[in-house]
Amino acid sequence: MPDFRKIVEERIAPLHLKASAENLIEEVTLHLEERYRELRSGGVPEEEAYRETVAELDDMYPIEAELSGNPARQEAAPPGDASKGNLGVDLWRDLRYAPRMLRHNPVFVVFVVVTLALGIGANTTVFTFINTLVLNPLPVYKPAELVAVATAEMKSTAKSAAALPISYPNLKDYRTKNEVFSSLAGYTSPHIVTLQTNSGSERMFSELVTGDYFTALGLRPAKGRFFSPDEDSAGGALAVAVMNYATWQGRFGGTDDVIGKTLRLNGIVFSVIGVAPPRFIGVNAIFGPDLWIPSAMSERLLPGEMQNALEDRSKAVFLGVARLRPGVSRAQATADIATIASGLARAYPDANAGRTATVRPIADVIFSADSSNTGPPPVLLASAVLLLVVGIVLLIACSNVTNLLLARSAAWQQEIAVRLAMGASRSRLMRQLLTESVLLGLLSGIAGLLVGYAGQQLLNSLRPAEVGANMVAPHMDGNVLAFTLIVSLVTGFIFGTVPAWRASRVSVAEALKEETHTAGRSRRRITFANALLVGQVAFSFISLVTAALFLRSIQRAYEIDPGFQTQHLAVFLTNPGQAGYGKAQTKAFYKDVRERVTALPGVESASWASSLPLWGRVASGLEIEGREPRSKADTITTVVNTVDLDYFKTASIGLVRGRDFSRMDGDNSTAVAIVNEKLAHDYWPGANGIGKHVQLPGEKIRREVIGVVKTANYSALGEPPQPCVYMPLEQDFSDAMVLYVRSKAEPQQILTAVQREMRLAGPEVLVNDVRTGSTIVDQALFGARLGVALLSVFGLLALGLASVGLYGVVAYSVTLRKKEIGVRMALGAAQSSVLRLVLKQGMSLVLTGVLIGFAAAMAVMRLLTRALYGVGPSDPVSVVGAAGVLLAIALVACYLPARSASRLDPLVALREG
Amino acid sequence: MALTAPDHEWKKGSAELLVLSLLEGRPRHGYEISKLIQMRSGGALRFHVTSLYPLLYRLEKRGWVEGRWVEKAEQRRRRYYTLTAEGRRMLRSQRKSWRDFVTAIGRIIGIEHA
Repeated sequence: MPDFRKIVEERIAPLHLKASAENLIEEVTLHLEERYRELRSGGVPEEEAYRETVAELDDMYPIEAELSGNPARQEAAPPGDASKGNLGVDLWRDLRYAPRMLRHNPVFVVFVVVTLALGIGANTTVFTFINTLVLNPLPVYKPAELVAVATAEMKSTAKSAAALPISYPNLKDYRTKNEVFSSLAGYTSPHIVTLQTNSGSERMFSELVTGDYFTALGLRPAKGRFFSPDEDSAGGALAVAVMNYATWQGRFGGTDDVIGKTLRLNGIVFSVIGVAPPRFIGVNAIFGPDLWIPSAMSERLLPGEMQNALEDRSKAVFLGVARLRPGVSRAQATADIATIASGLARAYPDANAGRTATVRPIADVIFSADSSNTGPPPVLLASAVLLLVVGIVLLIACSNVTNLLLARSAAWQQEIAVRLAMGASRSRLMRQLLTESVLLGLLSGIAGLLVGYAGQQLLNSLRPAEVGANMVAPHMDGNVLAFTLIVSLVTGFIFGTVPAWRASRVSVAEALKEETHTAGRSRRRITFANALLVGQVAFSFISLVTAALFLRSIQRAYEIDPGFQTQHLAVFLTNPGQAGYGKAQTKAFYKDVRERVTALPGVESASWASSLPLWGRVASGLEIEGREPRSKADTITTVVNTVDLDYFKTASIGLVRGRDFSRMDGDNSTAVAIVNEKLAHDYWPGANGIGKHVQLPGEKIRREVIGVVKTANYSALGEPPQPCVYMPLEQDFSDAMVLYVRSKAEPQQILTAVQREMRLAGPEVLVNDVRTGSTIVDQALFGARLGVALLSVFGLLALGLASVGLYGVVAYSVTLRKKEIGVRMALGAAQSSVLRLVLKQGMSLVLTGVLIGFAAAMAVMRLLTRALYGVGPSDPVSVVGAAGVLLAIALVACYLPARSASRLDPLVALREG
Repeated sequence: MALTAPDHEWKKGSAELLVLSLLEGRPRHGYEISKLIQMRSGGALRFHVTSLYPLLYRLEKRGWVEGRWVEKAEQRRRRYYTLTAEGRRMLRSQRKSWRDFVTAIGRIIGIEHA
């Protein structure tokens, strides 16, 4: 026999009865024991008997009302009415009641949970993305105190000035002279280095940082330690490195013996002394290095790129990150740093004249290294659009569930009426129904977390595998959990409020008459469902148009002519310097490769250039003949590219006038250059430019212009024209170059053959990176393509959910009108006219929705104009396409119930309806 | 309670009437009362413990019934409820008003009462 006395005591204890509790407990216990004994002797199984006995205690209210110490309550609250009851007790009771109700309707619960989980999951995925990239892009100590310190041109206004790197000597001066920062560290952008292993060569990205880099960011190593002061001051004698956590986990298996491990980078043996904390990939929040190496090693590690980087004030390669002292504002910091900068400009006019330094919020630089574009970073706009679309998806899911609950509450009216008759108050009933909705919302939230997690994993898997460790990885954390919890609760309230309110307004007398489907009330219900439906259609139209517009925009982007050919192009990145080649050996290598590759069948031509397509190198301080600078501050910025013979032919950049570089343009002949049309047109208007002179920043010689070529895209697809200067490889040696190959057919066919020839020419030289013209364009549009893919998925999800809702509402209205349809058919209406009737009813709702959606979409799209390329916000193809898809799907959703209506047997319909 | 009626006062009154009637013949304990109500109504009426005992306590407080613990040999002690003189008077008056009520309703809804 179960201990009923204990159960009774537990139930009665929270009621705080004044008197006679002892008698009551004993009597009730006896009663239950007797009931249990009786059930058992009647053959009822133990468990069931227990359940049935304890069920007697389900409603403790009468005891509380009759016997609690509060006489007022005793009078005011009629039995069965818990409205004056204790809120906490009620909630507890509802929470126990709700799962029981839900268990009775497993299909309903599954439908609701799946629908909402898709909506909540989409929101969770997008929020995970935003949480990582926008809300917490920099996993460091107090990121709000951090600022970016950079060089800027004096002539530009402070706000729009491009952030330029700082030279190492200047950085040192800023660090020692400032009175506003508690620390100021420098870092470079990630550089490619060659890791030599027993099995061959691999590419790694490394950032050179000052010794106090990690301390300034307030980080703690996940393993080992960070740099000690002497490691960044010993003139590059101590070769140590700190590893990226993801690199350690991925490439080095996450083993403990990584500390002390040695890595041979560009011929120097480095030992790993520590691992950075998880998720930290550097100050740039999108792309980070595999290794951090003390700046003192700059020249030893990268003798070409970093030549004199530690002494030359005009060699600006470091970006500054500083932590403000407590109480110091950014404006004060800017003033202090500008004072130091003007002192530096006076002391070292050659390198610093016309330049100052800026102090910006760290958020300005974490999305890109140079942050030359003004306005909000694209990631913010993308986040806003995605949030809007997933919000719509969730709203549509909610209204589907609302409609379902409404249909169900119609079936419940009798039960509700009985409870109202028993004296339950309406507010109490509403609370109970809402508890159920919120519980459903929470259940869906849990499922939604799983959907969101899957979505996030999918997003992470889209990152190119070879740089997976270097790229930001959105991850779920407490914020995401809290966000999902709140969304689920709000969702429960949104879809639960209307049905709960409606259900609680049941008229007792009417409902008890067993005629559950009185015409008037159902029609009201249908009107509300129709309104919801129109809203759903409108919202899914907005999300479809958004997706369609961005899809069209990206299509246009693919049609952009970058000014060089991409159809038959393959590029190969090499770095003979890192393989230990000297200048002569490197030159021989370049020549050998060019001759070998050009001789390959299937190759049209081959050449070398210093920049990858769309990764142009920008230099500031170009001097142009005939345009003497009015002041030192008046500098010209240009793209600079060093190219070998046949480059313009290989890249298909047309020569407008003059001549191409030739074998004659060697070390000992006249220094020459080729400029693009933009430069020639801007600085020598009217003249053809041939024979004029330019002097490149950092060069002591003036170069004679021998040719003018077409302007191309150098940094981004569809960019505004930039001036560009080309130099011949023979006159501007570089130990790292990119081989450009023009194929006769598809470039994929020659990739292996070209790499084989390169290995034959220089077995030690690593081919870092192989790309075809189309992958270059793909990569340039990677962010946009990702955004469009997400938008399309969410747009289709919205459409799918709305179609299910449409089907449900039309099918339900057919059920309600069975009798009417039966009468029509009995009176001789043809099947086709019934079909038309139902279709018309459904499709008129859809059309209304599309019209409203169109108006709303026009308003929303106006905001997005800036993000669209080559299409207007009212692009007819997108609008008509979205409307067409939506109408077609809607037609199917309406046709199915319409067909079943037209096939009704009038006799059956009349008898049952 | 499986009584469905909008007027809870009326319902409350009828429940009191049921209990008083059952105690008219002899004293009974709570479980017996609940069994009798269920049996004699053919299962249509049922009291949960949480409704029954508060009702008995209310009747006791008004002085209509009297509860007493009784111990019998080889049985557990039980609380028996006895109708008081006051309770007997209330039962008579409630019976009469119930009969009047049912007759009145019967006339309206068209059921001839025996």
